[in-house]
Amino acid sequence: MSIEIENIAKQFGTFTALGDVTLSIPSGELVALLGPSGSGKTTLLRIIAGLETPDSGRILFNGTDTTQSHVRDRKVGFVFQHYALFKHMTVFDNVAFGLNVRPKETRPTKEEIRERVSKLLRLVQLEGMAGRYPAQLSGGQRQRIALARALAVEPQVLLLDEPFGALDAQVRAELRRWLRKLHDEIHVTSVFVTHDQDEALEVADRIVVMNRGKIEQSGTPDEVYEHPANPFVLNFLGNVNLFHGRLQQTGEQPGAGENAVSYVRSHDIEIDRSPQDSTALCAEVRHIQKLGPAVRVTLAIAGSPELVEAELTRDVFQNLGLQQGESVFVRPRQVRVFVEDYQI
Amino acid sequence: MSAPIHTVHSNKSPTGRAQTEPPVVRWLLIAAALIFLTLFLALPLAAVFSQAFEKGLTVYLDALKEPDTLSSIKLTLITAAVTVPLNLFFGVTAAWAIAKFNFTGKNLLITLIDLPFSVSPVISGLIYVLIFGLQGWIGPWLQEHDIKIVFAVPGIILATIFVTFPFVARELIPLMEAQGKEEEEAALVLGASGLQTFFRVTLPNVKWGIIYGVILCNARAMGEFGAVSVVSGHIRGMTNTVPLHVEILYNEYNYTAAFAVASLLAFLALITLMVKSIAEWKVRQQLENS
Repeated sequence: MSIEIENIAKQFGTFTALGDVTLSIPSGELVALLGPSGSGKTTLLRIIAGLETPDSGRILFNGTDTTQSHVRDRKVGFVFQHYALFKHMTVFDNVAFGLNVRPKETRPTKEEIRERVSKLLRLVQLEGMAGRYPAQLSGGQRQRIALARALAVEPQVLLLDEPFGALDAQVRAELRRWLRKLHDEIHVTSVFVTHDQDEALEVADRIVVMNRGKIEQSGTPDEVYEHPANPFVLNFLGNVNLFHGRLQQTGEQPGAGENAVSYVRSHDIEIDRSPQDSTALCAEVRHIQKLGPAVRVTLAIAGSPELVEAELTRDVFQNLGLQQGESVFVRPRQVRVFVEDYQI
Repeated sequence: MSAPIHTVHSNKSPTGRAQTEPPVVRWLLIAAALIFLTLFLALPLAAVFSQAFEKGLTVYLDALKEPDTLSSIKLTLITAAVTVPLNLFFGVTAAWAIAKFNFTGKNLLITLIDLPFSVSPVISGLIYVLIFGLQGWIGPWLQEHDIKIVFAVPGIILATIFVTFPFVARELIPLMEAQGKEEEEAALVLGASGLQTFFRVTLPNVKWGIIYGVILCNARAMGEFGAVSVVSGHIRGMTNTVPLHVEILYNEYNYTAAFAVASLLAFLALITLMVKSIAEWKVRQQLENS
């Protein structure tokens, strides 16, 4: 089931949650809406589900306009950040809810429901939990039950609102790998909202980067990471250093002579004891911070007030044997320059 | 949402002592509270029962079996039986609307629900006399059509409904607001209708809040004096509720009978208190699980 989002706009009082968003989600893909809080990603997801009405624009499922249809007729599965499990029902009743509320003519028999629920519980690897109440489950287990409940109605579209946001780091990493695997098995068109770039890069087929109610860029994880469309996307997907400067006139390049900012990711900065080529800059080691497998080195460029952060692997750091206060040479491996709207 | 966290509080641990007051202060505070409760709650309650049974059980039972007393009990029960279900329905719908939906005039509705709490019950009763009484707005029209409201049972019920309508709504609004809309949204997305969502998801989550509200509403409906006193007309055996009857008996120096009837209200208060504390405890549990 493909989803077309056409010129969707949504205003909350004076706050523009979404301003004219257009996006198409191909059938069977797992798409991440990535952005900081307040970027409109959750609002967009809720509009797709029908939990929120857009001020203007259309939502099409498989080419059919669903903008006016009610939430319960859209056949979507929705997974909430805080699970939203029915507290007073057992796990079994939670998962069976969507089937039990169907009108008599379309409701499966008790036996069929029992079969479907146990199949789903097997799918989310919580077979023995049918009789428990949500309060007796861990966060990760609750979210998997929420997913099973959403899948029970055989949705055409699966929508997940920060599904791992309330979980601790280890469970989160485990669950997102599991979600990727699950999606490869069931292939239902899925959209999930996240503010965690690692999560988006790891799980999604496609990433839609959002900011202030607009889409900044949409593409595969490699595309948005390797070829960010603008400074915001670059900034949001990893640590970057900024170098301010002026573009030199070299032929008919657009934007020559203008002020420009060059961006270098911190792991794209090389540190050497001797200058490797003309692009190397002399710098002083100001601070060393060890972060598990990586080491972050803060450097002061000679003759410039700007500080630069470089991220090295532990091996490289140990081979260099860096000390605080030492003078070294830094060389950016990959530079991206943005002038106003131009990308070079 | 979160798993229960078990913390161990022990006064014997050094941190426990560091956070509490010295024993003298603690005992003084507890003693002050106990003395106050004894003086203002336990003693009057004991007085009611001792006066009621002063002349023995047979006199007590005879006082209750007196026809006017029986009729006042009957009227009080009828009033509660009409008022409580109506206010339950009103309170649940109002709380549902306020907690789960956004609409213009929401704040006005909340203010209106609180109105009976801020208006003196006597004034509430008087309003009905001013509207339905003979000198009131529609009094003459009512008389022409031979409909009796003031100084009759309908007036008593109307005044009681007015005085007691905040109880259920006031109890449910904060509870429903604290629980949020997510479960209802989840139910809707799964294909449930509005009514299915209400009966299968919303209602079970506020069950104990409703019981709490109903108990308080019932206690007030049965015990209301001021508003009912204005509209009732004090016709013995006709428009006297239990609290009004107690006053009449007392004014006639019929102390034993007055206290015997009053002891019924005291029993009601004790039962209310018991159910209320159970409900309060359950409401807290429901909130902790959300």
